Amino acid sequence: MNRQELKTTIEAEKNKLDLQKTKHRICVCCGAGCISSGSEALLKKLQEEVETRGLEKDVEIIPTGCMGPCNQGPLVKFQPENTIYQKVDCNNIQPVVQAQVVENKPIENMLLFSDSRSKPFVNAKDDPFYKKQLKIALQDCGDINPEKIKDYLSHDGYQALDKVLFEMSPEDVIGEIKHSRIRGRGGAGYPTGLKWETVYKYVSPEKYMICNGDEGDPGAFMDRSVLEGNPHRVLEGMIIAAYAVGANKGYAYIRGEYPLAIKRFELAIKQAKKMGLLGSHILGTEFSFDVEVRIGAGAFVCGEETALIASVEGKRGTPKPRPPFPAESGLWGKPTLINNVETLAGIAPIINKGGEWYSEIGTPKSAGTKVFALAGKINYAGLIEVPMGTTLREIIFEIGGGMPGGEDFKAAQTGGPSGGCIPAEYLDVKMDYESLISLGSIMGSGGLIIMDKSSDMVDVAKYFMEFSMDESCGKCVPCRVGTKMMFDLLQKICNNKGTRIDLNRLEELAVYVKEASLCGLGASAPNPLLSTLRHFKQEYENRIEKEI
Amino acid sequence: MAKIIVYIDDKKLEAESGKTILEVCRENDIEILTMCHLEGITDIGACRLCLVEIEGNNKLLSACTTKIAANMVIKTKTERIKKYQRITTELFFAERNHVCSVCVANGKCELQKLGYKVGLDHIRYPFLFPQCEVDTSHEWYVLDHNRCIMCTRCVRVCAEVEGAHNWDVMNRGNQVRIISDFNTPWGESTTCTSCGKCLHACPTGAIWPKDIVQGQLNKNPGMITELIEKRKLGL
Repeated sequence: MNRQELKTTIEAEKNKLDLQKTKHRICVCCGAGCISSGSEALLKKLQEEVETRGLEKDVEIIPTGCMGPCNQGPLVKFQPENTIYQKVDCNNIQPVVQAQVVENKPIENMLLFSDSRSKPFVNAKDDPFYKKQLKIALQDCGDINPEKIKDYLSHDGYQALDKVLFEMSPEDVIGEIKHSRIRGRGGAGYPTGLKWETVYKYVSPEKYMICNGDEGDPGAFMDRSVLEGNPHRVLEGMIIAAYAVGANKGYAYIRGEYPLAIKRFELAIKQAKKMGLLGSHILGTEFSFDVEVRIGAGAFVCGEETALIASVEGKRGTPKPRPPFPAESGLWGKPTLINNVETLAGIAPIINKGGEWYSEIGTPKSAGTKVFALAGKINYAGLIEVPMGTTLREIIFEIGGGMPGGEDFKAAQTGGPSGGCIPAEYLDVKMDYESLISLGSIMGSGGLIIMDKSSDMVDVAKYFMEFSMDESCGKCVPCRVGTKMMFDLLQKICNNKGTRIDLNRLEELAVYVKEASLCGLGASAPNPLLSTLRHFKQEYENRIEKEI
Repeated sequence: MAKIIVYIDDKKLEAESGKTILEVCRENDIEILTMCHLEGITDIGACRLCLVEIEGNNKLLSACTTKIAANMVIKTKTERIKKYQRITTELFFAERNHVCSVCVANGKCELQKLGYKVGLDHIRYPFLFPQCEVDTSHEWYVLDHNRCIMCTRCVRVCAEVEGAHNWDVMNRGNQVRIISDFNTPWGESTTCTSCGKCLHACPTGAIWPKDIVQGQLNKNPGMITELIEKRKLGL
């Protein structure tokens, strides 16, 4: 396919979508959460229902990616009204079709959040859950069929790629990304534009572009949802990144626990290749780029870039000291760009709407939006995307609908095993990279676990320490032995057998492991411990008091 | 190679660019403690004993893997570094079962020497006392996991110098173990050439020949370095 053909296809798909506006589009959420609560059977039942009623001409049914409020699933969305029904199953789908399609009158007590809001919203966009959100990375998730490239094309898909290949030089692309001030969404928050520029500047006949989809934090499913809900967006980001830095070969490293994400991404690669959007001479230009999927084998540490590279090379997934950074010597010793899934999902909109537009969203130091996986003691758990700088209070009490049973908020855990806990006095903290670091936590990849007073903070620290201890690769001494020692000490304190000496040793070890470890896993493993020591020291003191 | 200026422990030194901090320190008789480093084989920065402070960098970097840069200001003996060297040594001793009095390497052990060096008079952490195997299946040699510190010098020597790659690492975290082939007894190995280089590379009494008793182990890791040098010269 060449440029003109792509334009024609996009136009045709958009027209088709316009024509369909008169029809009902029923979107059935087929994200991993809704699938596990039965949305695939529901999809089948819905198709049967529509056929029995002879409504095929007026109704289009599409399986989509994640819509957000995962604990209310399975979710079914009716377009163009944008009405979402919650907890729909094979038994209650009939009245919904009858009411929504035939009578055009929604069933109020089945609408999204109908069991917790006195007046649920017919147009879900008016609901506070969605109102405070701004979806960029998740933009089309829940609206398009992730398994059809034409659905993506009808939502401006691959237009950014077209613009980049025909109207921009690699320098222009890097300039635009730098201007957007987007930072790496994998956790560390390194400026993406700067990373691209560094790889671009290294001269080498071979360069590589890797997409890091080895999302491993407990309770986090942001990358999973993006890959499952809109794989083409990530692929487009990869192709643009490769064009900018001069890479001709890419790998998408997706963890083995995400079979659906792997399947959909592989399908996306196949479809893009067939349409000439991937492979040799993309859209008839001189630029060639190919992507392969690499499947992780269950190691958390492989999310660390040097360990991931070793794993792609077929070696044991252990990290290497940096420098040299992958930008200089990465995959097979060649300059390599590694970006997180969510970062790549943000690239196409930046190209389409401009870096200026993106940089105006969020806070001065953290531009754009961030996807969070909201979990724990919260009414509306699920996937949300908010502008950087949104306060924790807004996320919990406005978007998340507050705590179940009106319990008091105790702490929010961000950044998974590499992050920390934010206590109630900091509920008004702006969620951005710097603010979270100043509280002893990190943004991390976006896990956000809400806790009430039933959570014991020493136990929380112990849980995450156990995770890091199990996931340590065992290469360097501080992480391999230090995490084990810290876990044993925490266990002792949890069993009310700890002493003041133990507490002092724990603090000393935590700082040592943080500073002496080889890679980010060890360097961040003490964070949950250090942050609970900082904000909830009394709970540790209470556990050791009796001993002295 | 161009000469550049670096400052190590307040000493101004001229060194060839491209060299690591460890190489420059050793050339200038500045002591750096190491355990996973063995002259001639690939450095991996795993033991963290050679950590140094570099001005303008908030991270501690391993001297064995970090290359010098012009006007780099390096500190190798700060209080923090000395403290961390001691903790690392303590963790080495606490991790498995190191009993010097009954060890074949007694008096010749690099870990034992390290203990003296950092002034280790006692260990503040509880000993983990894991149950470890002793593999005596090889005709001439023994692998005692109780004394292994996971420096992986044996793995690298076997792969890089002998070219056999009999050794590797399995599991992760504190469950890591050195394995022969795909975790089969050493005596059944189809790749081991019984060359004995791993024995000389091992810093402790984890690999030793069967015909010796306590304190009788004679290791010569320098032999491996010498071999690598000779090969480079084509001898």
